[in-house]
Amino acid sequence: MEPVIPFKWEGPDAEGTVRLYGNLNAFSAPRPFLTKKQVKTARNLTFDLKELEHLDLNGAAFLLSQFDLLKQMGISSKVQNLSSPLAPIWELAQKSFPAPDSLVPQKGPGPIEQLGENIWHFFKDLFELTTFFGEVLVHFWGFLRRPWRARWASIFTVAEKSVVDAIPVTCLVAFLVGLILAFQSAMLMQVFGVDIFVADLVGIAMIRELGTLLTAIVLTGRSGSAFSSELASMKSNQEIDAFVTMGLSPARDLALPRILAMTLATPLLTILADLAGLLGGNIVLMSLGHPYMVFWEELSSHIDISDIATGLFKSFVFGFVVALIGCQRGLYAESGPSAVGEATTHGVVTNILVIAILDSLFAVLFYALSW
Amino acid sequence: MPSPGKDMSQAGPKPPLEAKNLTVSHEGSPPLLVGLNFTALPGEILGILGPSGCGKSSLLQHLVGLAVPREGQVFIFGEDIYAQGEQSLMRARHNFGVMYQTGALFGDLTLLDNVSVPLKEFTHLDPNCIKDIAALKLALVGLTGSEYLLPANVSGGMVKRAAIARALALEPSLLFLDEPSAGLDPITARDLDELIGTLARNLGLTFVMVTHELRSIMRIVDRAILLGKRMKGIADMGSPKYLAEKSTVPESIAFFQRNNVKEKKEK
Ligand SMILES: Nc1ncnc2c1ncn2[C@@H]1O[C@H](COP(=O)(O)OP(=O)(O)OP(=O)(O)O)[C@@H](O)[C@H]1O
Ligand SMILES: [Mg+2]
Repeated sequence: MEPVIPFKWEGPDAEGTVRLYGNLNAFSAPRPFLTKKQVKTARNLTFDLKELEHLDLNGAAFLLSQFDLLKQMGISSKVQNLSSPLAPIWELAQKSFPAPDSLVPQKGPGPIEQLGENIWHFFKDLFELTTFFGEVLVHFWGFLRRPWRARWASIFTVAEKSVVDAIPVTCLVAFLVGLILAFQSAMLMQVFGVDIFVADLVGIAMIRELGTLLTAIVLTGRSGSAFSSELASMKSNQEIDAFVTMGLSPARDLALPRILAMTLATPLLTILADLAGLLGGNIVLMSLGHPYMVFWEELSSHIDISDIATGLFKSFVFGFVVALIGCQRGLYAESGPSAVGEATTHGVVTNILVIAILDSLFAVLFYALSW
Repeated sequence: MPSPGKDMSQAGPKPPLEAKNLTVSHEGSPPLLVGLNFTALPGEILGILGPSGCGKSSLLQHLVGLAVPREGQVFIFGEDIYAQGEQSLMRARHNFGVMYQTGALFGDLTLLDNVSVPLKEFTHLDPNCIKDIAALKLALVGLTGSEYLLPANVSGGMVKRAAIARALALEPSLLFLDEPSAGLDPITARDLDELIGTLARNLGLTFVMVTHELRSIMRIVDRAILLGKRMKGIADMGSPKYLAEKSTVPESIAFFQRNNVKEKKEK
């Protein structure tokens, strides 16, 4: 990257003349250039460009930048003997060089402003989410009245991409959780000789809570985030605007198919996750010497329909919520490239929060109803 | 490095850009252009013209080292950029700047920072000086006062101009511009043409630019290559004046909208 004719300078001499030689550009610009010591006595500096072979805009800007620094020390500078091919470049640079102190970045907000902004954003988010929820409900009502008019093709495509393709990972996670849960509790229960109850523990935990929760969280990370990023990048490409100006509704035509697909398919995925978790528990029990059927017999005598119903009911709600929040974050994203990432992150965080809160509420509710 | 003085002094007249028997294609599709041969001379403004979809942007991708050509070679300052894989590409990349059709600004950086990126990476200048240089480049394309805006918050034409400023940051001796003046108002477009002209005439920078703007072509382009879909290659080549007034190639006549001439001939 070295220039062939290197840049050199001499001076300043007694009259304050600095002679420049060679080729001045962004790569050959010296650092440091004139030291304080060198210019200590001078009031005026003259830069002689007679011997300068080549000067580009970067080189000229470098000199002008140095002139600004010298000016701050109370030294005025000028150039002389500008050769004719270099003169237009010098003039162009001078014309376009930023005025001193014109470059001040906008100040960021202070801590109080930031706090206010965060609070404002929180309520704005809440408001937007509520608005969107309402909008989706309206379209959902329309769907219920005329389900044959829905875009079933896209609903099935979304269901396949977002839920069916998630079967392996969800089942694997559920299986391992069931296995670990059974293993940890079996260690303790064996001491008291009640290791058969491992079946009930794993069964109730899986069917009432964990299967549903695991599925919801896997779908959040896998599919809700995909909705957010997909829609947010459509938004920043103005595709959403194109949708609206064509007279289509993003909530009805983009969000609703996704939400319906997730709402309908999540319970099915939850059932598979439950089964995988139970299988994990059963394997532990079998390794303790119980035959295969013992697990299921024990389970069927302690699990009733309300356990299964609550789990499935929650999974409906979670499927709906994951898709709703994922789509809302995408559709309400700001434009710009970093917005896609932000929308996705916010979507996942909001989803996990909302799922946790809803799950606690459900726990209280079902307890009060003694389901 | 960014001065033509150096490159020419190295070993005689090495053209900034040379394409030899170049085939332009996308993976899995039939070739768009076949057997291209052309050269850009130092200080020249070379126009690449052609109807939409004929493969101008794709040609540019091959010229700047983003897509390995199925056949043929690309020489930048005499060096075959695809000869030794990544190594020769890295070396060549320091010798040219590219402005993409869609701007391709980094979305998380302000316009000023976008222009500063190459200066920060590849020079030893101090931060203040880099700021001044970047602001100067933005001023050249008429963006004074927008230095601290993000690309998402400026207009399409401003993105375009900032992209040109970024391509100019290191003042490389060879610049590829993909439709620099498309979407600009006539006044800004003329200022931009003037800037490109000054840089070519006074600094000896070579420009290879794709453009559709007839006015801009007539004003600054020294020599133009007209690509044709029919022959999948160069339909016509020459100075814009020649292409616009004398050439009898149907593609040139159509491109420069000389309907009257054509009609006369038919009669
Ligand atoms: N990534 C790609 N893969 C396959 N084909 C492509 C790809 N990008 C472009 N093409 C095809 O290559 C052809 C040429 O595209 P290109 O963008 O080079 O045209 P262009 O001459 O630059 O047009 P314009 O003037 O509209 O910008 C088009 O027919 C397009 O469909
Ligand atoms: Mg193009």
